[in-house]
Amino acid sequence: MLELRHVKKSYDNVTILEDINLEIQDGEIVSILGPSGCGKTTLLNLVLGLTPADSGEILFNGKDITNVPMEERGFNIVFQDYALFPNLNVYKNITYGLKNKPDISTQEEVDEFIELLGLREHLDKKIEQLSGGQKQRVALARTMVMKPKILLLDEPLSALDGVIKESIKEKIKEIARDFHLTTIIVTHDPEEALTLSDKVLIVNKGCISQYGAPQEIITTPQNNFVKEFILNQLEIKRNNIFALFHQSMTATMQAV
Amino acid sequence: MLLPTITYGFAIIYSFGKQGLLTKLFGRQLFDIYGFNGLLFGYVIYTLPISFMLILNTMGFIDKKFMVVSRVMGDSPLRTFWQTIIRPLLGTLAASFVQCFFLCFTDYGIPASVGGEYEVIATVLYNEMLGSIPNFNRGAVVAMMMLIPSVLSIALLKYLERYNVRYTRISQIELKKNRMRDGVCAAGSSLIILSVLAVFAVIFVVPLVQEWPYQVSFTLEHVQAVLNDSSLFGVYKNSIFVAVCTALLGLLITYGAALATARSGLSGKLKGVIDAIALVTNTIPGMVIGIAFMFIFSGTPLQNTFPLIILCNVVHFFSTPYLMMRNSLSKLNSSWETTASLMGDTWIKTIVRIVTPNMTSTILEVFSYYFVNAMVTVSAVIFIAGARTMVITTKIKELQYYTKFNEVFVLSLFILGTNLIVKGILGYLINRKEKKEK
Repeated sequence: MLELRHVKKSYDNVTILEDINLEIQDGEIVSILGPSGCGKTTLLNLVLGLTPADSGEILFNGKDITNVPMEERGFNIVFQDYALFPNLNVYKNITYGLKNKPDISTQEEVDEFIELLGLREHLDKKIEQLSGGQKQRVALARTMVMKPKILLLDEPLSALDGVIKESIKEKIKEIARDFHLTTIIVTHDPEEALTLSDKVLIVNKGCISQYGAPQEIITTPQNNFVKEFILNQLEIKRNNIFALFHQSMTATMQAV
Repeated sequence: MLLPTITYGFAIIYSFGKQGLLTKLFGRQLFDIYGFNGLLFGYVIYTLPISFMLILNTMGFIDKKFMVVSRVMGDSPLRTFWQTIIRPLLGTLAASFVQCFFLCFTDYGIPASVGGEYEVIATVLYNEMLGSIPNFNRGAVVAMMMLIPSVLSIALLKYLERYNVRYTRISQIELKKNRMRDGVCAAGSSLIILSVLAVFAVIFVVPLVQEWPYQVSFTLEHVQAVLNDSSLFGVYKNSIFVAVCTALLGLLITYGAALATARSGLSGKLKGVIDAIALVTNTIPGMVIGIAFMFIFSGTPLQNTFPLIILCNVVHFFSTPYLMMRNSLSKLNSSWETTASLMGDTWIKTIVRIVTPNMTSTILEVFSYYFVNAMVTVSAVIFIAGARTMVITTKIKELQYYTKFNEVFVLSLFILGTNLIVKGILGYLINRKEKKEK
């Protein structure tokens, strides 16, 4: 279980996050949702250990890890731009961490990740030869080989084409379920957040606006921000799609 | 750019002088080469390629789509030309002007050869320091005088950077076909290239004939003479040694400095200091650096040694390679270090395994920059090279006293040849690397 208690962060006297309290259960997929500049990436970096908190505590399984450096926390991240190493091929990227920690994954496990993410045929390719979706899968595999205790994903879908998005979503869900892996995802897309995760954390202006299961957020939005910015967008989308399908439905009905 | 500027002057003398190659062709001397005319001509051919590279570089970064937009909006051709070509180039044009001024102002090679009675600050400085009646105090004052316009011009360059138009992306479009325009431009540039080449033709002609201009039959005698003369060939070896060492040491220092500023968590103040050092070395003319090194190290065991020359070159040319390194380092993905350290890498390990392999092109470019410049520079080393540590350029200066121009041109050819080979090999490696990546 990951726990944040009264975490605060500010840069040059500008408060980014104030008094964040949060609990994430093992194996949960949690999305951090909010507009640009709301502090969601900072929150992710705090959990990762890249940025130190000004005050407050971060606990993992009851242990205080606030001052534990990034490398020792055992969490891992896939960045928005994947940060794949262009001088190495796909296979060498995936097994990069094994050079430092040879015992962390066995060959069978590595093969399993490669199979699961459908990368078998791309192993000898250069990074530039891959499409966006393939890069994302390589980055996921490379991270999974490190057996992270928590998987962090920074905007994992925003750089992908519409068609690929759904399949990557399924892969993320599959990984989280199969390995009972706590996964934290940063996103600015409400649809993505609500369809992908067990719980959604809505952040606005450095504060938690609402934290709950997707269903809760839809049925009982706690404030105006959630209503106007999150639900409104979804409703417009829903109406558009309904209008689209309704037309064709009435058309088929009439034909019958 | 692959020849020392001192050779430019001698090439002019042998082209336009009384017995010059081109004088013979035209039948009369075109202009008096010693003094203002010769200097002007020398400076122009010296700065022309540099200015051209600057402008060409910026032109490559201009988005040509704006020409289409401008035409579609109904601009007249003249207005299109102004809006989409001249306007975005203004900053670079001004920068090129200032850069050329700086180069001419601080150059020693050209006035040393064709200056004649027309004294410029570089020759005055040299004469005060190393002339027949040295006067260090006055020389130091002249050095300070030289520093002021240099500092001003660099400050101006920094200021002009702001006027550079930045396009977010450069799109390729088909350019409008126009035979007339292409023809006129092609004719113009061939004329310029031809006249520059004509000047340098003598470098190839003079050392390869019996005795210019009286016996013009082909011979390799002079080249062989230089190769056999251990003092001359030794100088060539010295030059190569200095150039290689400068390139290696320079590479290490610029890479280290650029890593510190572009990819480390050092405090902003420290990074500012490194940037300031780069700016300062850019501002100080080579001659002033040379004099400074001469004063500081005279009397120490380092005086007149190779390490001192190498160090002086590294400092003198620090700015450009450092900026090249910093730019390409900062273009690399910023998450690599974080990702690699999550995979268990130390920072050093990441630099070796990830960053350096992705920097090969720039590393080769920096090596070549340092090498070529160390081969051709004369302004700084002239003050610190001793009898045993003579490099080609200082030797040329010495040979000038004894009017041994055959040797001057042979040595110049050696420099040119070496530089061409080094540039060729490194260019080939860079090309191959870039092709492989595609």
